[in-house]
Amino acid sequence: MIEVAGLKKKFKLTKDHKKNKIDDIDPREDKDYFHSVRDVSFSCAKGEVLGLLGPNGAGKTTTLRMISTALKPDEGTITIAGNDIVKKPLIGRKSIGFLSGSTGLYGRLTVKENIEYFAKLHGMDKNDIASRCDELFTLLDMHKFVDKRAENLSTGMKQKANIARAVVHRPAVVVLDEPTTGLDIMTTQTVIEFIKGLKAQGTPVIFSTHHLDEVALLCDRVAVINEGISCFDGTVDEFKQAGKSDELNQAFMNILTEKHDV
Amino acid sequence: MFEVYKKEIKELLRDRKTLMFVVALPIFIFPMIFGVLGYFMVQAQIEADQEVHNYSILGTDLAKDFSEDIFYHKNFKLSKVDNGSRDNLISAVKNKDIDVGINIQRIKLSGNQNTYKTNIEIIFNNSSRISYISEKIRLIFVKYKEVVQRENLKFLGITKDNEQILILSPVTIEEVDTADLRESFGEKIGVLLPYLLIPLVLTGASYPAIDLGAGEKERGTLETLLLTPITRTQIVLGKFLTIFTASMTTSLITVGSMGLWIILAKWFVSIDYIIDAIRLIGINDLLLILILLMPLACIFSSIVLAISIYSKSFKEAQNYMGPLSMLVFVPLAISMMPNMELTLKTSIVPVLNVSIAIRELLKGTVDYNLVYLIVISTTGLALICLSFCVKWFKKEDVLFR
Repeated sequence: MIEVAGLKKKFKLTKDHKKNKIDDIDPREDKDYFHSVRDVSFSCAKGEVLGLLGPNGAGKTTTLRMISTALKPDEGTITIAGNDIVKKPLIGRKSIGFLSGSTGLYGRLTVKENIEYFAKLHGMDKNDIASRCDELFTLLDMHKFVDKRAENLSTGMKQKANIARAVVHRPAVVVLDEPTTGLDIMTTQTVIEFIKGLKAQGTPVIFSTHHLDEVALLCDRVAVINEGISCFDGTVDEFKQAGKSDELNQAFMNILTEKHDV
Repeated sequence: MFEVYKKEIKELLRDRKTLMFVVALPIFIFPMIFGVLGYFMVQAQIEADQEVHNYSILGTDLAKDFSEDIFYHKNFKLSKVDNGSRDNLISAVKNKDIDVGINIQRIKLSGNQNTYKTNIEIIFNNSSRISYISEKIRLIFVKYKEVVQRENLKFLGITKDNEQILILSPVTIEEVDTADLRESFGEKIGVLLPYLLIPLVLTGASYPAIDLGAGEKERGTLETLLLTPITRTQIVLGKFLTIFTASMTTSLITVGSMGLWIILAKWFVSIDYIIDAIRLIGINDLLLILILLMPLACIFSSIVLAISIYSKSFKEAQNYMGPLSMLVFVPLAISMMPNMELTLKTSIVPVLNVSIAIRELLKGTVDYNLVYLIVISTTGLALICLSFCVKWFKKEDVLFR
């Protein structure tokens, strides 16, 4: 289980940003800082898939970066199996598998070398690496291209390799930042099947997306962030109720509009 | 840390651009450049030496022997100029009708109505090419002048050889060079070697640094690496070690390839002078040069890595690194100034100190206490740069600009 409570994160404004600032356009900007995440809370239990929704610039990526320990929150806690990973980031990194649409691979290494490298960095031993790699290559149907250099792979192959890289260390929680952005239908399907597989194994999955059909297909829970603040956290049914629509797109629009009006 | 290092080295060795900078450049391209340059310089010298110059002369009767010496010289061919006058000689040289004009005049000495001296005017264009026209004529002139001087002395009644020498060369100068073979060789090569080695240490570090910092950001692999359960200090040290290795390898390959080319050259040209001088330098001093380069490579590696980590893209990193080479070339240029020696002051100025120390080590005139001071001061600076780089790498606003 992962619990996120009261996350806040601000970034110092650059001189250029201050110079070109248009007053009162974004309520998250003050004199010196941009408050990207102002108060975000949600949770995701074992075997659940949580869809993190929000318009562009809502603070989803910053939130996921804090969960993945790439960024340190200014305030708030992120707890995985009782460990506050804000205070113990190395434990957090062992527990989390992270994948985004823009994640790259080392082009001059083969797929196998890429995955083995990350397994070694996660402290796995030689035998464990070999058996885990074999397991993932079979699961994701990768055997044909594991010895190819990553720079020579198609987008679909790359994303499969990225998935394997993200879960090679058997993470307790998987975090996906817009994992299907820019992918073709076949590769998107691979990602969807991968999420389904994680869910079946009981691994909590948090993924941000703009595709509400994916939410309908995969998610048990939904969290909505707007202008850096959580404005909804609940089950998909509760999401439809709160948004006063059975259509997820409409419900999402209604929740955003309602919160904005308030 | 060593996992990061091993992986970075593996990737670098598979990168053609890096191999080009680290291996091909010092092994093939530099010797090729020097070889081609040397070949053309020698060719130009031979050509200039063998070149036949068209000349025209006025007033041959005033210096008959001189005129004849030029006429029979292998490098001069007489060419007539219409309406011979000084102005016509100048125009003919300007119009490139002739290469050189010689105007011999008789000038009356002031205070004595019957005494004259001969003046030889050489008219040529000194900017056109390497021709040594003036030098060649001067050599003929010196010989002629001595003959005239002796005749004049005879005319004045000084006929004995000893007496003539007393007037012609009353004082002589003789140079006694106390520099031994090593010192002489060290002075010459000591100017060239730091100028080649130190920028190579920087070049060897720059390209891998761009790839390991900004390149990783651009390809989207840096964030993935940051999410592994190793500390950021371990990541940055792994990257730093890779860059340092590349930097030192570049300079080692350069020195190695120079040695190899010298051995190969031995079969074709006589370079015993160089080989004897290198033997005199000795392994200890050559090792000291290597030790001096190590902290410098450490400083460069830390700085270029810090720049690369800060940059958002490959291109931005290249732009930031451009002015860095100036910071290296300025102290290098200062180190080459005359009388620039290793002192307490110069031994604490980065780059300048290593450059002078290399030269003095090659010459065998170095104060070893100052070399140790350089090692200590440069290592101190290297540690400061490295700790800055580690801190820099931990800053979120640097990593996620």
